[in-house]
Amino acid sequence: MPSWQDFQPFIVTGLALGGVYSLSGVGMVVLYRTTGVLNLAFGAVGAMGAFIAWSLINTLGWPAALAYLACVGFGAAISLLYGMLTGPSLAGRDPLVKAAATIGLALMLLGAMSWIWSDKARSMVLPTTNWQYSVGEVQINWTQIIALALGVFVTLATAAFLRRTGLGTAMRALANDREITAALGVPVRRVEATTWLVSGALAGGAGLLLSNLVGLDAATLTFLVISSLAAALIARLRSLVVTLLAGVVIGLVNAMATPIFSISSYRDMTPFVLAAVALLFLARHQQISFARRSR
Amino acid sequence: MRVTRPRIRVRHPATAVVLLLVVLLAMPQALSTYWIDVLTAVAIYSVVALGLGLLMGRVGLVSLGQIAVLALGAWVAARLDFATSIPFPLVLLIAGTITMVLGTLVGLPALRLSGLYLALITLMLAGAITVVLTTTNFPNGGPGFLGHTESSFGNPAVRRPGIAGSDAAYFRYTVIVAALMFTLVFWHVHSRPGRAWAAIRQSEPAALAAGVNITTYKLWAWALASFVTGVAGGLLAGSVGKLYTYQFPTRDSIILLAVVLMGGIYNLWGAVVAGALMKLLPALLDNWGLPPDLLIILFGAGVLQVLLTAPGGLAGQVPKDLARLGQRLATLSGRRAPEGEAP
Amino acid sequence: MMEVAGLTVRFGGVTPLDGMTVTFDSGTCGLIGPNGAGKTTFFNVLSGFVRPLRGNVRALGDDLLAMPHYKRARWGLRRTFQTEQAIEELSVADNVALAHEHSRQGSRASRRADVRSALAFVGLEVAPHAKVETLGARDRRLVEIARAVVGRPRVVLLDEPAAGLPDEETEHVGRVIRGIPEHTGALVVLVDHDMSLVSACCDTTAVLDFGKLIAAGPTAEVLRDENVVRAYLGTEPVS
Repeated sequence: MPSWQDFQPFIVTGLALGGVYSLSGVGMVVLYRTTGVLNLAFGAVGAMGAFIAWSLINTLGWPAALAYLACVGFGAAISLLYGMLTGPSLAGRDPLVKAAATIGLALMLLGAMSWIWSDKARSMVLPTTNWQYSVGEVQINWTQIIALALGVFVTLATAAFLRRTGLGTAMRALANDREITAALGVPVRRVEATTWLVSGALAGGAGLLLSNLVGLDAATLTFLVISSLAAALIARLRSLVVTLLAGVVIGLVNAMATPIFSISSYRDMTPFVLAAVALLFLARHQQISFARRSR
Repeated sequence: MRVTRPRIRVRHPATAVVLLLVVLLAMPQALSTYWIDVLTAVAIYSVVALGLGLLMGRVGLVSLGQIAVLALGAWVAARLDFATSIPFPLVLLIAGTITMVLGTLVGLPALRLSGLYLALITLMLAGAITVVLTTTNFPNGGPGFLGHTESSFGNPAVRRPGIAGSDAAYFRYTVIVAALMFTLVFWHVHSRPGRAWAAIRQSEPAALAAGVNITTYKLWAWALASFVTGVAGGLLAGSVGKLYTYQFPTRDSIILLAVVLMGGIYNLWGAVVAGALMKLLPALLDNWGLPPDLLIILFGAGVLQVLLTAPGGLAGQVPKDLARLGQRLATLSGRRAPEGEAP
Repeated sequence: MMEVAGLTVRFGGVTPLDGMTVTFDSGTCGLIGPNGAGKTTFFNVLSGFVRPLRGNVRALGDDLLAMPHYKRARWGLRRTFQTEQAIEELSVADNVALAHEHSRQGSRASRRADVRSALAFVGLEVAPHAKVETLGARDRRLVEIARAVVGRPRVVLLDEPAAGLPDEETEHVGRVIRGIPEHTGALVVLVDHDMSLVSACCDTTAVLDFGKLIAAGPTAEVLRDENVVRAYLGTEPVS
């Protein structure tokens, strides 16, 4: 069994990754509660944003800060576009159909990334990664701190926003019942658009951070959505704080299994196993599904 | 949920048999080994698509992990093949059965979940299986339960049945086994389980009120889909000879979903179309010097098109363009008049 | 005979059924009440879609709630739904046979004969192999009723079987319903808002309001009962 010291660097990476998982996890939960869409293309959106940023920096010579903004902006824009184009047709449909449609988006993005950038090895290093300092025996860089801090901040800010502001209340009303909310005069389309925009921006940001923490590879980044998804599912797609905690736990367990050689090669199973357990736990009290045609 | 009738219908079994004979006899003679391998893959993946189409089109269940099931079937078949001298047809049968048992074990708790959550749990379990496979690898003649040896020299290939050693002969063998799987599913669909599934898909309360044990019939569909996919895995093992984890990427499960949706989940020919989309088109594009990535974009667009236009969810209409193609083919075979739009 | 004792259903702060106690004698019994009174919830308890908090139901000597839901159809419980639920892609005959083939009564030949006689009984003159999706509303309703009476049903629950149908069709449905107890020996419980249909078909009627029984007895008397009138009109009794 490795020593405490052996674990320390992994605790750091785990927390950082966990922060990012929570970041997109929160975006997913809010989007799902407001629109009924579980966006499985989140990872792909973030990945493409990161690639765009990379190209802007390395091919077009843009300043890094602008490129990062472009990444976040891309995430917001493409999510908004998707939400507005598919929203009306899918409005009253089963959540499964809505989620399956996002798979279509993910495939399109994956194909586009593969075509435009191909599979060459690339790396994107955020300047914050170079600002390092030591805590005890461990090296920490600012990217990691930002990842965790952002995860926590976004979770708490969103939770507060949903509870305290008018727009937040409108989102919660929509989550409850779209028709009644519309009948009450809430500008449903505008609220949904805002939700898509913001969750897309979060996806872009997550993609940027992940490209730095994990690597700039289309497939890897796209399928990391599963870890965020796992966090969201453990929170039963409801509680933002649980999403945060779950995301951090997933990141931690995954990273901390690395130095334990006997289970190390299985550590990538963490999000899958945790999510599967959470789902089965959810299923304990299922009755038969009554309405196939509700939202 | 509105369910419309299939537009492609094989009214006369004779048409199917004639087409089958043409495929079996003529094609291998006319093609190079490369294309024979491609068509073998088409046949194999049609069976996988058949399983998924059964789940989605007949019972309304979505699985995002069928490729992992395929990998399981291939693993079992390879392990049996290396460890014993059981004849190949029996290997296929055992691989299918073990896969079916494993699938049923998973289905027992998982099928209590509704639509989206079921799809997600299959994604999660498939991911877990893929991670395990990355570590345990596939059997390659090595020792122990896992049957894997690290050395990469001199490892044997999965042995093919005696009568089907050559690629052309194995292709015919695969087509026959695939046809058997299709027949098995066809038979199910047109007897009591099929009627129960139709009731479940439209209205679970009505099905329950009619005395249909929904859990049993969902499990039955799940088991059947796992069985045919396991057999397909065995066929795959024999086809490629050497199995590696990269042959079963998670991405393929998503692509499978896309092609099954595009091929049409309501009727059995849709599964063949799906297999062709998945394995033939990339080879064709490659042959014409076009990037296969374009296909992925196409599949993504296809998913969106099907879902956005289908009136009632996943078990809705066959997408209009592919359906018309199928109708034209059926009309050409001279056996049926073009059908009007369903009401 | 079906005896309901102290049936209570509660979920999410709502109590759709509140200690419902009533006995349905043989023949055709009506069950009426204003919207939200708990009638469909009651049917859902019988079908097994909803688990009651308390209470039990004994039908023909058997404890209905103790059986798993899909077994109740085998026992002989049949039901139609408010929004008609004939399975579209199956043929008429397959729809009607649906309950029958899962109850494993008799041979395939005898089941086919039962289906034919059920179709004749409801007066459906469509080819048995026609797909239900090609039928109109009236025929679909009749298919559902045929499915409810095929074979040997013991308790038939009809939930607004003529909803949405014009008057002549409603009359036909009424005639069919009146004939069910004699044709099959089953107990029929009819839930409907159409008082003329209820008067025409049901010898006795029970009335629910807010999940409780407020009246039960011969139909004509019940419909004149002032408690019932007040429940429907929600006003003070007119003196």
